[in-house]
Amino acid sequence: MLPRHFSYQDKILLLQHGCTDLLHLAQRRGALLHKLLSGTSIFEQDIQKPHGRLHHADWLKLLQNCQQQLNSPELPFLLGTTLLHNRYISVSQCLLYAADLKQALRQLLYFRHQLFPGIYVQLYRRQQGIVLEFNTGLTHGQQHSTAMTVLLSLLLSLIKLQLGSSDGISAQLKHQPPALALPYQLHWGCAVSFNQPCDSLLIEHHLWHQAFSAANPAKFAAARRTCRQLNRILPRQRGLLEHICQLQRRALPALLSLEQAAQQLGVSASMLKRQLNLHKTNFAQLLDSVRRDAARQLLQQGCYSNRQLACKLGYSDEHNFRRAFKRWTGLIPSSFKELQNSH
Amino acid sequence: MAVSFGSLKPVQLFDTLDILGEGTTLLVACLWLGLIISSRPAGPVTEWLYYGSLLLMYSYFLDLLDEFIRYPDTLRLMSWLESLPAPVGMLLLTYGLVGWHREQRSIDRQLRGRELFLRDHHLIDPLTQLYGADYLHAVLGREIALHRSQHKPLSLLLLDIDDFAGFNRRCGIAAGDNYLGQLSELLSSQLRHSDVICRYSGDRFVAVLPDTSDVQAQIMRQHLQQHLSMLCKDDNQPQLTLVCSSVSQSSAAAALQAALNAVTTARRQHAPLTVQNA
Repeated sequence: MLPRHFSYQDKILLLQHGCTDLLHLAQRRGALLHKLLSGTSIFEQDIQKPHGRLHHADWLKLLQNCQQQLNSPELPFLLGTTLLHNRYISVSQCLLYAADLKQALRQLLYFRHQLFPGIYVQLYRRQQGIVLEFNTGLTHGQQHSTAMTVLLSLLLSLIKLQLGSSDGISAQLKHQPPALALPYQLHWGCAVSFNQPCDSLLIEHHLWHQAFSAANPAKFAAARRTCRQLNRILPRQRGLLEHICQLQRRALPALLSLEQAAQQLGVSASMLKRQLNLHKTNFAQLLDSVRRDAARQLLQQGCYSNRQLACKLGYSDEHNFRRAFKRWTGLIPSSFKELQNSH
Repeated sequence: MAVSFGSLKPVQLFDTLDILGEGTTLLVACLWLGLIISSRPAGPVTEWLYYGSLLLMYSYFLDLLDEFIRYPDTLRLMSWLESLPAPVGMLLLTYGLVGWHREQRSIDRQLRGRELFLRDHHLIDPLTQLYGADYLHAVLGREIALHRSQHKPLSLLLLDIDDFAGFNRRCGIAAGDNYLGQLSELLSSQLRHSDVICRYSGDRFVAVLPDTSDVQAQIMRQHLQQHLSMLCKDDNQPQLTLVCSSVSQSSAAAALQAALNAVTTARRQHAPLTVQNA
């Protein structure tokens, strides 16, 4: 059975899982609490409650408020590190005591709805290593880059802590290069490229099995138990966009219609349309993005001809596929491949 | 001339109200002239204003004079001399004021641009209330050009916290933020007003020391080192690397890079608080 899907107004985040840390960081930098909370439905009294919750729209509004009130480019980086070292977040404890990167990331993927419900990951193999591609299960709007920076900071500070350095890792980011790339160098210490087609992390093969310096099986098991217990009050839920993309990805090369997708999600077609409007997107656009991402990933893995790709992605012939690909990237598939290999 | 042509009026013909009114206008015109001379720099605009108010004063003076002196009816010259300069003076004054307005507008524009650069609160790091890296680059570039043209020495002082990430991990980010605040307060209290202190990146502070030779910078570094060692009583607190370097490069980026390299070499020697010259 598919897990439930959520939208902006579902209270699926715990206040203790990020919100309080963010508020403390911002307050120490001189921001006023009531101004940070303005426009959200969070009350000051609720912040210290152990199981206080907030919904995703509030979380995004909070990130936006922090950005508007403070000019502190280091804030998302620090937030990522703080989340990793927060003792009350059992997912982070899980990551810290894992045996190696593979085990840590597996836990993060499995329990990500407890910490980053709005972001999902796709893994695929390339020559140089394994790519983690991050996508959003909810439209994040202006806060996209901040949210990604928080997640990547968490991952990279984990790697730097456990493996000693972040050599052998490179990050690709969707957004424009900032005026000053200094915080990226300082906090991440790995190669970062901007203006890329997706947010992703390329991790070389040998790093996946290198033992973590703080590995502790007993503590790891305990943390994982706590995560499982937490699952009872924070059940596994997925963002709506993630759900639809997943359905379509499984259905390829066939293309889903709006009605079919709505039926599989258990809502009416008009309801689904309305919800997609809320996410500032539509069904056709989503299908297009699924095909685009799939095409890019398959091309990067190499060894597929245009005809095979067209066939896999549900295009009637390779001309149509080539045209679509040029619309997405501005390049024809062969030159895209060359460009990727040259990097 | 007025006295030689006319004859004095008898006292009973004096009109007190007229004398009071015209006397006041004359005094005010005198005041304007004085203000213009004292507050304006020399230049064409000031000259227009000066001659304008001079003419106005002259005309008001004659006006006041004819309250006391009666001229023969045949003499038209005196009434011309009295009434013509006033409108001409007013016109000159107006022209001068237009020039003043233009001048002020361009000055305002320039000031606004400079204020924007110097006081832009976006350039200030909210945690430490010091300037950020953007500002450092801009200021350093400007100071290098200035000091080169005047052949004065310029120095940089760098303070680096060793393993700040580890400190944050051990004691929490709150303690880390607190420590950064302490450091920035100490730096701003111990350095001179002319020094520009910036938080270059998370755990690095850079101070630009204008008109400071290498020897002076060394003295300042030692002084600062003593204060810092008082701050570092707690064993748990991180080691600091303090480095000063005299700037000989022609670009801000190169100078900063040289100074940062000096920090790395100082650190590699496992001797914190050592002196390096870049």
